[in-house]
Amino acid sequence: MSMYPIASALATGSNDLAFTNIPQNFTHLQIRVFLRSTNSGAQDFNYVRINSDFGSNYVSHGIYGNGSGAVSDYYNARSYNWLTDIPGSSAAANIYGVAIIDILDYTNTNKYKTIKSIGGYDANGSGTVQLASGLWMSTAAITSITCSSGNNVAAAGSTAQLYGITTA
Amino acid sequence: MSVFLQPLQTVTVGSGGVNSVTFSSIPQGFTDLVLKMSLRDGSTSGSNGATWGLTINNDVSNASYSQTRLFGTGSSVGSGNAANLYYNDTAYFPNTVFTSNTFGSSEVYIPNYTGSNYKSFIVDSVTENNSSAAYTQMIAGLWRNTSAINTLNIYDSGSGSYVLAQYSKISLYGVLRQGI
Repeated sequence: MSMYPIASALATGSNDLAFTNIPQNFTHLQIRVFLRSTNSGAQDFNYVRINSDFGSNYVSHGIYGNGSGAVSDYYNARSYNWLTDIPGSSAAANIYGVAIIDILDYTNTNKYKTIKSIGGYDANGSGTVQLASGLWMSTAAITSITCSSGNNVAAAGSTAQLYGITTA
Repeated sequence: MSVFLQPLQTVTVGSGGVNSVTFSSIPQGFTDLVLKMSLRDGSTSGSNGATWGLTINNDVSNASYSQTRLFGTGSSVGSGNAANLYYNDTAYFPNTVFTSNTFGSSEVYIPNYTGSNYKSFIVDSVTENNSSAAYTQMIAGLWRNTSAINTLNIYDSGSGSYVLAQYSKISLYGVLRQGI
């Protein structure tokens, strides 16, 4: 088998979701996210930060649809990759966003790391769906990932599962 | 226990690059195929990046491919159809005008690749760039042929001008479903 569960992160309502000491013996990583923010407002976002790098080394692009139109945009010089919109604390109760995040060749020290995320949420009459990308401008192997809501406090019940994928 | 995601073949591009990658003699015992691609074009300088094609079973002359795309450029969105193609797009990938060391990420999912229907598949891909310009794209592709798939070719659709850069990597997987 080539896809192995590495770790799970569970939010209690007072923490972010993070993975440390990521094994270096896989080729690709995948994170499956179920996430809601404690931030005020109806909507927040899912971000990824790598190796605790708080520098302005991240760029994000995406295409987004909200039920009435579609846009494409980008963010540069950020301290995280902005990926998928998720419900905030004033969204209807019990609604969480979902995302599947792929990071290929995460140990290759000749590459900047590219992240691909497919995600979104629906709130019974509103919502958003996105294909987003993130660039971390570092050739370092990835050893830790924070994958949480914009205010760093994921709502209780939020989860993230990290998988490692091997190759032939 | 059945194997859910079985690694079949991987190609990592060495120094000097290549202008095609072929997966041949694909085992017929799975239900679906997946390609995971981390690619950069080391030759061209078009502002959108380089489009690499996908051909199946060495079919390059029958115009039997078609596709529907949804894409974003970082500043605009679009969607379009293309019929009677000689290959399917796999995605745009970063080229020499994109940020150094930056590789695109793309996945191609081909269900029921041994079935007797035409072959439909889905592609999701991103390029990335430290600039506003980068492609985010989804493609629904079709190969109008009922043959089982035994060969996939990642094809230089730039007529010889494209070269996959060193460290580009393509992994092929077989997927099994319950009951196999």
